[in-house]
Amino acid sequence: MQIDWWTLGLQTVNALVLIWLLSRFLFRPIASILAEREAMARRLLDAAAAAKASALTLEERARAAVDAMAADRAATIHAATTEAKDARDRLLEVARADADRMRADMRTEIERAERSARRAEAERASLLAVDIARRLLERLPASSRVAGFIDGLADAVAALPESARADFAARGEPILTAPRPLTAEEDALCRGRLESAFGRPLKFELRVDPTLLAGLELENAHTGIRNSLRADLEQISATLLTEPENER
Amino acid sequence: MKSSPLALEPGFQLGPVPVSKPVIVTWALMAALALASLLVTRRLSLRPGTGQSALELIVETLDQQIRDTIGVDPAPYRALLGTIFLFVLVANWSSLVPGVEPPTARLETDAALALIVFFATIYHGLRTRGPLGYLATFAEPSIIMIPLNLVEQITRTFSLVVRLFGNIMSGVFVIGVVLSLAGLLVPIPLMALDLLTGAVQAYIFATLAMVFIGSAVDGHGSRARG
Repeated sequence: MQIDWWTLGLQTVNALVLIWLLSRFLFRPIASILAEREAMARRLLDAAAAAKASALTLEERARAAVDAMAADRAATIHAATTEAKDARDRLLEVARADADRMRADMRTEIERAERSARRAEAERASLLAVDIARRLLERLPASSRVAGFIDGLADAVAALPESARADFAARGEPILTAPRPLTAEEDALCRGRLESAFGRPLKFELRVDPTLLAGLELENAHTGIRNSLRADLEQISATLLTEPENER
Repeated sequence: MKSSPLALEPGFQLGPVPVSKPVIVTWALMAALALASLLVTRRLSLRPGTGQSALELIVETLDQQIRDTIGVDPAPYRALLGTIFLFVLVANWSSLVPGVEPPTARLETDAALALIVFFATIYHGLRTRGPLGYLATFAEPSIIMIPLNLVEQITRTFSLVVRLFGNIMSGVFVIGVVLSLAGLLVPIPLMALDLLTGAVQAYIFATLAMVFIGSAVDGHGSRARG
C-alpha cells in the first residue's frame, strides 16, 4: 500500500474548503432561519401571552365595572325605596293628622251644634213652662201668688247665717219684689215674718214685677233672696241645660 | 481491471503538484455540493416549502444527534460533522455515476477526513477543557491508562480510515469483478447494496467523529445527555 502525500494534502485542503463552503452556504443560513423562526415563534408566544394577560385584565376590569354598576344600582334602588317609604310615611302621617284634626273639628262642631240645639230646646221648654205656669196661675186665686210664698221667703232668710243676715240688713233698705201690689194684710204679714226672721225691725221698698209669676224676692245692692216661680223655672231651665254636659 | 485497485490514477499535473482522479472527483463533488447549497439556501423563508423543510429536517436531526451524543450546543460542531456526513455520503454514492470512482474508495481521502477529525478532536478538547484539562483526560480513569489512551488516539483514527476505505473500496472492487465476469445487469443488486453500505458508512463515520469529539469535550458543555 502506497500513500500519495500530494493527494492526501489536497484532499485535506479540499475537505477543509468544503467544510467552510457548506458552513457558509448551507448550515449557517439554515441555522439562521431556524433561529429566526424560533425567535419569531417566541415573540408571537410572548405577544399572545401579553395579549391574553391584557384581555384577562380587561375582563377583570369589565367584571369589576359590572359589579360596581350592580352595587350602585342596588344602592340606588335601596335609597329610592327608602326615600319613597319615608315619603309615604310622611304623607300618611300628614293625612292621618289632617283626618284627626278634621275629625276633631267635626266633633267639636257637632258638639257645638248639639249644645245650641239643646239650649234652644231648653229655652223653648222654659218659655213653654213659663207660659204653662202663667196660664195655670191665672186660674188660681190672686192671693195664692203671694201668700203661699211669704213663709218660704222668711225661712230662706232664717236659714242665712247670722252674720249674713246682719250684713244684709246693714247694707241699706232692701227691695221686695212681688208679681202684683201687696194687699195691706199681705204687706203686714210679710213685714212681720221678715222682721221675725231678721230679728229686728225691717224697712223695705216694694216693687212690682209681673214676670215673677208668683212668689217674692228680697234683694239689696249685693245679695238677693229669690223665692219666686220665675226663679224656680230659671233654675230648672239652667239645670236642664247643664245636665247633658255633666252626663257627657 | 488490470491495475491494482489501490493504485492512484493520475489526472493531470498542476505545476509540481500531481492532481489525481480522486481529487478531481472531489472538486466536482465540492462544486456540486456548494452550488446545490447556494441554490437551496438562496430563497429561505420563514414559511418553508417542501425542499427547505427537508433541509431543515436534516439540519435539525443533525443538531439533535450532536446534542444527544456530545451534550452541548451543536453550533460549533454542526459544519464539521454535517460536512463530513454529506461529503462521505455523496462521495460513496458517486459510484453510481458511470466512470466515476468514489474518492472515499481511496485511502488518501479517508485519511484526510480522519486527520481532520483527529485534529478537530484535539482542537475542541483544548478549547473546552484548556490544555491541562485536555491532557488530564488521558489519565482517565487512572494514570496507568495514559499509554493506552495515547495509542487509542492513533488506532481509532486508523480504524476510521480503514473502516471507510475497506467498505467502499471492497464494494467498488466487488462490483468491478462481478461486472467483468457476469455482464451488464448482474451488478445492479450489488450496486443497490452499495448504496445502503455507503449511507451506513457515512453515518458511522460522522457518528464516530461525533463520539471522538464528544469524548474530548465530555462534561464541559450544557449537557443534556440521556
